[in-house]
Amino acid sequence: MKYTKYVICIIVLVAFALFPIACLAESKKEKNSIVFGAARPLSGPLAIYEETAFGPIYKMWIDEINEKGGIYVEEYGKKLPIETIIYDDKSDMGTMTRLLEKLMLEDKVDFVFPPASTAFLFAAGAVANRHGYILMGAEGGATTITDMLPAMPYFFGVLNYSDHNQMPALADLYEEWGVKKVAIIFIEDLHGIEYSGVATREFGKRGIEIALVKSTPPDIKDVSPILKEAKALNVDAFCSFTYPDTGFLVTGQSIELGFNPKAIVFGPGGNFAVYKKIFGKDVVEGVLAYGAWNYKSSPAAKEFYEKFISRYPEDILDWWGHLPYYAGLQCLEQAIEKAGTLNQKKVRDVLATEKFDTVLGETWFDMFGDGGGLLAVECYAGQIGQWQNGVFEVVGPKEKATAKAIYPKPPWPTK
Amino acid sequence: MIMKIVDVLICGLLLGGIYALIAVGLSLQYGVARVLNISHGELIMLGAFGTWSLYTFFDINPLISLVICGPVLFLAGFALHKTLFKSLLKSSGSIGAFEGSSLLACFGLLFIIQNIAITSWGADIKGYSYLSVPVNLGGAIFAANRLVTLAFAVGIGITFYLFLARTRLGKAIRAAAQDPAAAGLMGVNINHVLALCFGFGALMAGFAGVLLSMCYPVKATMGLEYTIIAIIVVVLGGLGSIPGSFIGGFILGIIGSIVSYIEPSLSLAAYYIIFILLLLVKPTGIMGK
Amino acid sequence: MNISTVLTKRSVVGGLVILILLIIFITLPLYAPAYTVILLTAIFMYIVLTVSWALFSGPTGYMSLAPAAFFGVGIYTAAILGMKLPLIVVIVCGGFFSFFLALLVGALTLRLRGIYFAIFTFGLVMLIAYLLLFWELHVTGTRGRFVIAVGHNTVYYIMYGNLVILLIVAVFVRRSKFGLALRSIGENEDAAAHTGVNVTLVKIVTFAISAFFIGTAGAVMATRWTYIDPFIAFNPLFSFMPVLMAIFGGTGQLWGPIIGAAIFAYLEEFLITRFPYYYMLIFGIILVIAILYMPKGLVGLIQKWRKGGGVV
Repeated sequence: MKYTKYVICIIVLVAFALFPIACLAESKKEKNSIVFGAARPLSGPLAIYEETAFGPIYKMWIDEINEKGGIYVEEYGKKLPIETIIYDDKSDMGTMTRLLEKLMLEDKVDFVFPPASTAFLFAAGAVANRHGYILMGAEGGATTITDMLPAMPYFFGVLNYSDHNQMPALADLYEEWGVKKVAIIFIEDLHGIEYSGVATREFGKRGIEIALVKSTPPDIKDVSPILKEAKALNVDAFCSFTYPDTGFLVTGQSIELGFNPKAIVFGPGGNFAVYKKIFGKDVVEGVLAYGAWNYKSSPAAKEFYEKFISRYPEDILDWWGHLPYYAGLQCLEQAIEKAGTLNQKKVRDVLATEKFDTVLGETWFDMFGDGGGLLAVECYAGQIGQWQNGVFEVVGPKEKATAKAIYPKPPWPTK
Repeated sequence: MIMKIVDVLICGLLLGGIYALIAVGLSLQYGVARVLNISHGELIMLGAFGTWSLYTFFDINPLISLVICGPVLFLAGFALHKTLFKSLLKSSGSIGAFEGSSLLACFGLLFIIQNIAITSWGADIKGYSYLSVPVNLGGAIFAANRLVTLAFAVGIGITFYLFLARTRLGKAIRAAAQDPAAAGLMGVNINHVLALCFGFGALMAGFAGVLLSMCYPVKATMGLEYTIIAIIVVVLGGLGSIPGSFIGGFILGIIGSIVSYIEPSLSLAAYYIIFILLLLVKPTGIMGK
Repeated sequence: MNISTVLTKRSVVGGLVILILLIIFITLPLYAPAYTVILLTAIFMYIVLTVSWALFSGPTGYMSLAPAAFFGVGIYTAAILGMKLPLIVVIVCGGFFSFFLALLVGALTLRLRGIYFAIFTFGLVMLIAYLLLFWELHVTGTRGRFVIAVGHNTVYYIMYGNLVILLIVAVFVRRSKFGLALRSIGENEDAAAHTGVNVTLVKIVTFAISAFFIGTAGAVMATRWTYIDPFIAFNPLFSFMPVLMAIFGGTGQLWGPIIGAAIFAYLEEFLITRFPYYYMLIFGIILVIAILYMPKGLVGLIQKWRKGGGVV
């Protein structure tokens, strides 16, 4: 009796201790697959990214590759299917960076997927460069990365952002419509500060007056004081550079307060199909959001759209990121095939120099010297979108538009 | 100018009503049953998701959901106390030890409930529009759903207060809160009363979830945010006091509204400043003894 | 065999075990895979947080939810000073900033007891995060910060050193008059004051010492995190984790929080990598079962086993 307890104790301890060794043993198999590793937020506040943003895209991409038999890698003389190792980073920065290093150092994965959100993406970029791993980005992007990019040769930004080239496109639209006075609210983080900063600059250049700028903390529960103030100022356009929670709150409270500016921007949040689902097609009519793509953008985009909705509920579609995320993965796939190897440096050099054929059409990266790159501005299917008759149409820039913009936006329907 | 002040105050009351409702349940659970229920927000989330599901799939009016989600959560809370917390109470030597171990258990519950919610509803944002129409009150405009929420919150609060003050069971609960040992001697079945109390806490969380889902988007990871607000309101108002929760909620709501009006980026910081200052002046909350 | 020889035998064995562990951990980076070192750093970090927390909250019974504040101060120190000063100086600075914050908080919260103290300290974490956000937004205009990266072996040794110093301090505090005073505060604060214990001083100093080590841990870990902003640095998770780990291990003994944190952190790593989609569910169930069947934590369980083993 006395000893059984100790024996149980020892067995449990040994089982635990063996777990890292078991992981090591697994990675020493013969090469017959390409292993992608990721630390993604499966739980915690960022879990929504895995559910609706990059999560569905990488899963769909992997399944498609594996249906084709894999990616042909010359070095091995055969097609290699993709396997994944996915860990839960609990939406915690420390856990994410640690698990990313586990994937690179212990599991020795061939490639990594990015984590979710701009801050996590930046941290992962630094980790990936330290270990010489390509980081093909997904959710997140901001002007601050351009200072870091020359020193991050393995970082490839995929998502378009404020001055790359959404706010200039928005300001062009406003100028064309003759918008004179704008109110801005922004969320107090990297995203909001940056969008309001770039928007202020771009609006200023075009002589548009900014009558009100207010920032909101992430968990704000009531924005009606700001909306009332904007209403009293009689602004032509209202910009909400906030996350979905706040954006949905702003929409709801604008309706309730009868706040009807002639143009209204919600992003990120307005670009999600769920936005239409929650408020209905009549309410969202004329609402602008940054993004943007549409199934009318190109035949490839239409094919992507149809594949997506045959696999997932339409509600989780993202009319901003989904197309570029997928294009980034396609670039990586083609770069591996062209390089004919899984060597990070060689694949990276192909990514940096070649052009690829993706859902965005011809796609390439603008490189920062010997550093990393950003998906070229010309490649995006659009920068600004607008809900029209239940469809998120691209309206800016002009040459990418899939429909003519509506201005002024019709007032909120009164039931 | 006066119009503006009244407007800001009413906005604050509307927000405060929501905060109060979130807090009442926790106040009961901690004030009487001594369980610092860190999974309180998850129960609110369940109430909100239940309402959303009923509205989206069966077209059931959210106000009717009150009488569906509330009782279901009551039973869940009651059962939880009868099983989990009762045996914890038995195995802990002191109230201090029980508070520690029940906190750990509640953390476990938080994890379990959130994981089940993510796997069954997904981690994305859900929502619906109900009564999101303007109401004109003497020149100032307010949202119908927020007015309804405030009315229900106050109604539920008063009903429950009367229940505690006037009925036999209510008196037993109050006795158990003040002095469990003496209440036991007086013939009150303490375990039963505590379980009921915990159940009522869950019921309030359910009500809060139902009403919240009319004004805010719903997601599986929203719980902790509301738990934190609830804890702040409860401590501000005084533990176990229903009027305290309402006073605490209204204070936070009004201050938040005033600060939002002047400088929205400080509105949440203001909650904590008020809270910390108040505790320094009166260490047991406004209505605390 | 009389009692004293048994005791000496025991302490000799204990001393040997500790010595072997010390040597294993010192030489570990020489032969262990890199990730083992990184994982151990993270586990050491949790042990530092938990033991520091238990140093003050264990004997006094004051449940502090401030660790995230001290941890965040450490992280921010590393982010702001990391590029300008040598690493060791940065880390010590992180510790001292936390120390001074704790002195201030300690002095403010003298009147608060029980849950009011806990929630006050928690409110403090949130308040600092929101004020920092406001400050960075309106005054410095900062948008997130990159933290200078340091090799994982260096981080490991610094965290290890931090842990060893903390354990020495903890043992010293427990065995000294100071520890006795702390426990007497936990039993009955008023009585302790009457017997001539300077309650205020003892409480504040211990609180500040525990904050010092949490702050240094934060400054060290920030170098692994690479990029931070106020809400990443002041994450309420780091207030709850030490409490849970300490309760899980049992606060009665010094080694309770140590094994509690180690097993808790390792279990979590095991689950998020092996069962990522059901990590929370399994972890939650383990927490509930653990508290049901070992209400006094691992320490209580082991003590019960020992007694039980003696009888059988």
